[in-house]
Amino acid sequence: MAQTYSGPGVFKRIRDDYFSTRLNTVVTLGFAAFVIWVVWSLFGWGIQQAIWSPADKDHCGHGSGGACWAVIAARWRLIFFGLFPFEEQWRSGIACAAIVLTGGLSCVPWFWSARRLSALWIIGFAVFYCLMRGGFFGLTLVSEQNWGGLSLTIFIFASVTLIGMPLAIVFALLRQSRLPWIARTMGVVIDTIRSLPLLSILFTFAIVIPFVLPGWMIGDKLYRVIVGYALFFACYQAEIIRGGIQSLPAGQDEAAMALGMSYWNRISYIILPQAFRNALPATINQLVITFKETSLVVIIGFFEILASGNAAYGNAEWNFAHVEVYCFVGLIYFTFVFALSRYGAYLERRMAVVER
Amino acid sequence: MNKLMTTIAGLCLAAGAASADSRLDTVLERGKLLCSGHNGSFLGFAEVDDEGNWTGLDIDLCRGLAASLFGTSEGNMDIVPISWAQRWPALQSGDIDVIIKLSGWSQSRDTELNLAYSRPYFVAGFHVMAHAEIGAESVADLDGGSICVSAGTTTEKFLAAYIEELGIDAEIIVFESGDEVRTAYFNGRCDGLTLLAPPLAAARATSEDPSAHVILPDVLALEPEGIIVPEGDPDWLDVMNWMLSSLWFAELYDITSENVDEFKANPPSAQIGKFLGVTPGYGSRLGLSDDWAYNLIKEVGNYAEIYERNIGAPYQLPRAMNQLYKDGGLFYPLMVD
Repeated sequence: MAQTYSGPGVFKRIRDDYFSTRLNTVVTLGFAAFVIWVVWSLFGWGIQQAIWSPADKDHCGHGSGGACWAVIAARWRLIFFGLFPFEEQWRSGIACAAIVLTGGLSCVPWFWSARRLSALWIIGFAVFYCLMRGGFFGLTLVSEQNWGGLSLTIFIFASVTLIGMPLAIVFALLRQSRLPWIARTMGVVIDTIRSLPLLSILFTFAIVIPFVLPGWMIGDKLYRVIVGYALFFACYQAEIIRGGIQSLPAGQDEAAMALGMSYWNRISYIILPQAFRNALPATINQLVITFKETSLVVIIGFFEILASGNAAYGNAEWNFAHVEVYCFVGLIYFTFVFALSRYGAYLERRMAVVER
Repeated sequence: MNKLMTTIAGLCLAAGAASADSRLDTVLERGKLLCSGHNGSFLGFAEVDDEGNWTGLDIDLCRGLAASLFGTSEGNMDIVPISWAQRWPALQSGDIDVIIKLSGWSQSRDTELNLAYSRPYFVAGFHVMAHAEIGAESVADLDGGSICVSAGTTTEKFLAAYIEELGIDAEIIVFESGDEVRTAYFNGRCDGLTLLAPPLAAARATSEDPSAHVILPDVLALEPEGIIVPEGDPDWLDVMNWMLSSLWFAELYDITSENVDEFKANPPSAQIGKFLGVTPGYGSRLGLSDDWAYNLIKEVGNYAEIYERNIGAPYQLPRAMNQLYKDGGLFYPLMVD
């Protein structure tokens, strides 16, 4: 019977890779010990010696040596929903789920057409807005300043991305314009906005704009902040897209032109799809940064998830438990950012198939 | 552009003169008071309970103000969450009607920012807390040790000045945020921790073993905290001053939220009868209803009750100079005539 070659065994491979010399052995064992120690300490602190029930909270922090997850059990609604009225928090919960679901669905290839995507997002935002704001069908009115927690974080992120992405495409195309005055002006605008700190842009849009604009243009602080943030996002993203466009060989555009394709056809069928594929890793990166930087809105008094976390441990009862609350909020951020980056990796694999 | 620059630089210079109407009329007409909250939690002054409702000393003053204006705060008050940096522009743009947000009365705020302060309702000292095992009895005993402080705050300046004045050799260790500086102190990174008295007391009261830390009696500096309204609005400022005065008046005569009804039914003196609106005058002069002080006390109690509920009981901070004059403190009611 012929035997197929199966490569070296597991043990041999491990020995070759990690224990080949004395130095390698020492390094391997040292790191293994360190990792085991870290995992063991975390396990002991976070699970084994942790206190889970608010009823046992008197044991918290007094020599138990473990985490006090009781603070999450007692204050999770504050973390997730912020200042949203207590009896109405189910609305905030469903609204948040609706936006997450919309975001999840728009990752499914079936939805990848302009009509389906826009219908999906219009429905998603309408559901979110109606549930959060209320004021009809017996839902009490909840003004934007009382929105908070995870729902607010997700809403800001989704709106900024959705307004910012088309804007970024427009900016990138203008910057690539063959008319030098348009290209140069756009370049100056992009560079100016990029050289300002996000914090000062948010502050300006939230606080200074009402002094200079006429009353009917002001709108709620929340929407002004979203517009400002979207502008900031669009400038960064425009440069990423421009990078994607410039990485294409000039022959692509010229060949399309030679075939008699119009400008819009060349852009939407030839240039942008390839540019986005090239710019995908940088785009995912920008999205992750945008998601995390939503926490800056705390400076203009919004109860996004970090601020509501701060409020959650901010009383006499729970003030010692800030580490636990920050760990929990960190876990929530991690869940979203990790999902986003895994989805980016999936897209890259999928597009690599197309390329082959 | 010019207007934008003016706004950024001064933020507020023109706004006071823009309307001749008092904010009092605006608020009464609107039927709702917009009061300052916090972006997160400021221990003892603005906190959020399990159900997302605001509590705290500053919040109680907001509630009291709403009750004074409208009879009850229920449905007549919005707490607008704002950050520290946002306080002044939010007041000028009308996002809020009044700032009750533990804000010290400084000359630049009073003059350059065009703000008007009420009488202080809380006087906070900057103190140093030390580990009890060191046995320090005053800051001078920390000679050769180290003291933690948060960066970029007035606290840092006050501490440096005080150490220089004492002529001792103490190392100042600076940390970025309040959480960091507290954690550093409790992990033994430094011998002393400098903060404003209320957060310092909170740090001590919520630590593993409060008896292991002593708050040293030295006062590095004082910060008188007042209620802030836009400059040039005396009617609105009067309401603030008389609300605070009423809280102290009630405390002086032992009128509490519990027994205010008995006092009103059977006023022991003509002055108290007037105060509670049994005889007219106390409200109409301010443009309020005559029983506004009754509504105020009924809703939030007198100053002692507010203090005990928010600061005394949860954080065990002694009232010290925040007592009435008769107990050795700084506060006194104005004359009710």
